[in-house]
Amino acid sequence: MAILEGRNLCKTYRLSRRNTVEALKGVEISIDQGEMVAIMGPSGSGKSTLMHILGLLHAPDPNHGPAPELRLAGEDVAALSDNARTKIRARRMGFVFQDFNLVPTLTALENVQLACDYAGIKGKQARQAGLEALSLVGLEDRAGHKPAELSGGEQQRVAIARALVNKPEIILADEPTGNLDSDRSAEVLALLREFNREHGQTIVLVTHDAEVGEACDRVIRMRDGRIRDHGQPATAAAVPVMATAAGAMAVAATA
Amino acid sequence: MRLVRDLGRRKLRSTLTITGIMIGIMALVVFGSMANKIDALVKGGSTYYKDKVVVSAKGGYMGLGGVLSTKMADQVAALGGVDVVVPGVELLLSDDQSGVSMGTPPMINGSVAGADKGRETFQLNYATGRALTAQDEGRNVVVLGSDLARQFNARVGETVTLRGVKFNVVGILEPTLTAPDNSAMVPMAAAQQLFIKTLPALVADKLDAGEIATSLVVYPKPGADTQKIAVEINASISGVTPMTGADFDQEIGAATSMLNAILIGIGLISLLVGGLSVINTMAMSVAERTREIGIKRAIGASRWRIRREIVIESALIGLIGGLLGLGLGFVITTLGNDAGRDSATILFDLTLGTAFSSVAFATILGATAGFIPAWHASRMDPVTALRYE
Repeated sequence: MAILEGRNLCKTYRLSRRNTVEALKGVEISIDQGEMVAIMGPSGSGKSTLMHILGLLHAPDPNHGPAPELRLAGEDVAALSDNARTKIRARRMGFVFQDFNLVPTLTALENVQLACDYAGIKGKQARQAGLEALSLVGLEDRAGHKPAELSGGEQQRVAIARALVNKPEIILADEPTGNLDSDRSAEVLALLREFNREHGQTIVLVTHDAEVGEACDRVIRMRDGRIRDHGQPATAAAVPVMATAAGAMAVAATA
Repeated sequence: MRLVRDLGRRKLRSTLTITGIMIGIMALVVFGSMANKIDALVKGGSTYYKDKVVVSAKGGYMGLGGVLSTKMADQVAALGGVDVVVPGVELLLSDDQSGVSMGTPPMINGSVAGADKGRETFQLNYATGRALTAQDEGRNVVVLGSDLARQFNARVGETVTLRGVKFNVVGILEPTLTAPDNSAMVPMAAAQQLFIKTLPALVADKLDAGEIATSLVVYPKPGADTQKIAVEINASISGVTPMTGADFDQEIGAATSMLNAILIGIGLISLLVGGLSVINTMAMSVAERTREIGIKRAIGASRWRIRREIVIESALIGLIGGLLGLGLGFVITTLGNDAGRDSATILFDLTLGTAFSSVAFATILGATAGFIPAWHASRMDPVTALRYE
């Protein structure tokens, strides 16, 4: 079942009076429940923009042509107000970013509880959920530490705990291993895979890292604001992609 | 609270901003207390003068100055609308006026007790001892106002020296927050004796001590117009200045209103500066936390929540500054009053109302100052904020 589907997704940013950027030029995408999907592509391919739209951080452009469609678990979310999108993000989605994920004046537990707060989970329940989430990422004994007292990898794991705590339908991660060394990257990746494989958590990642792509069920490759390759489930992957010229260029660009 | 930790991010900056508010509130509290004191003084005077006319010698003021005669009292009493006339003698307790005097300087007031025949409405309450009576005439006894009693460190039964003459203390007044606190009330004869000693020998020889007065307090018949009586007095007796309640309000009231306005104005201006510093601090704070705000918005914080966070933080700055300013103001007013106690000068009246409204004002000022940066923060696009360097 598709947890997230989109069609005719376009996004143009106006940077200044004469400078506009067409980041997405009509994207069709479908993400099934329980999938772990990587979105890869060179800079300027629109992968981050796509993730922002899938994560309801921005709304897709209304378009002059065919209207955009965006559905979360079957519900139409294409043209919601900022407040409505914020609510959905709070209650039904989880986010992990590349860096500076955590609020420096709050402890690990308080950071995780922030997500509870926004999702409407309060008091004892929030504290409970927070501790559970932290233990899922193996950091329950660091609950009272501030980010400055945690390593980069640990901070990222706290961020993952925060993304999980409201039991989201989908987790979106933007370069989650971007700032980590290979060991920590592997740790974080393993954690995400565990949640995906064992708890059926749907995860969408944007990444530069080919290793991260390999760990996912499929890789969506983008270029110039469009999806070039929706990727196939793991087994069929490598050969067909490499065979096409576009595929070879895409792979070369991400190497 | 968690939000106090946010203030702790930049300790120096928070401290400086809070200090700004603290100074502003301290100024407001101190000057406000001064204004309270002035208001109490004036209100007392206004109430006192409302229902009577006080006649002084021309060139004199409120009984201080030239000499009248007790015989004039009969003249005035004969005028239409006049009920009772009480002659009195007022003179300064001491000729050297060193030190700050807020309101009336310490005075000796002499009159025959009971001469008002019950017309006087101004209540005087006695903390210890008793009031003067007509039987006290001829004796050197005194009732002291609360501030003077403190200055002399006197109790009922003890002796004090007024202008070189010993007086027995028979009563001490409760504080009135106005003129009586600084006065020594003696029988008419005693005051006349003291007064005549202040005059040069040439003049004193020509006067009969028993007929000396420096003021005539004129009580009107019920329903009589004090203004009209004042005009009649002016017309029928030369060399005197009558003063009614309206005159008092006009002269003193106007001057003190101006003083009040200046004092409060100073306080408010310092607060305005403090408020601007809060806006600046919060704006910087918001700018520094751009990324953090981006993350919070991304994971689901509503615009309203972001705004709320910022406003509460700036309100906290106001509250803390306000409490500190109140504390500092309290120390200053207490020390000031203690220092002035020896010269019977109480300068400050820090009421509960002043205290509460100062802190409330500081908090509201803080919250308001935070509003613009808060609005700005809430309007940030989460994605742009996330990427902020």
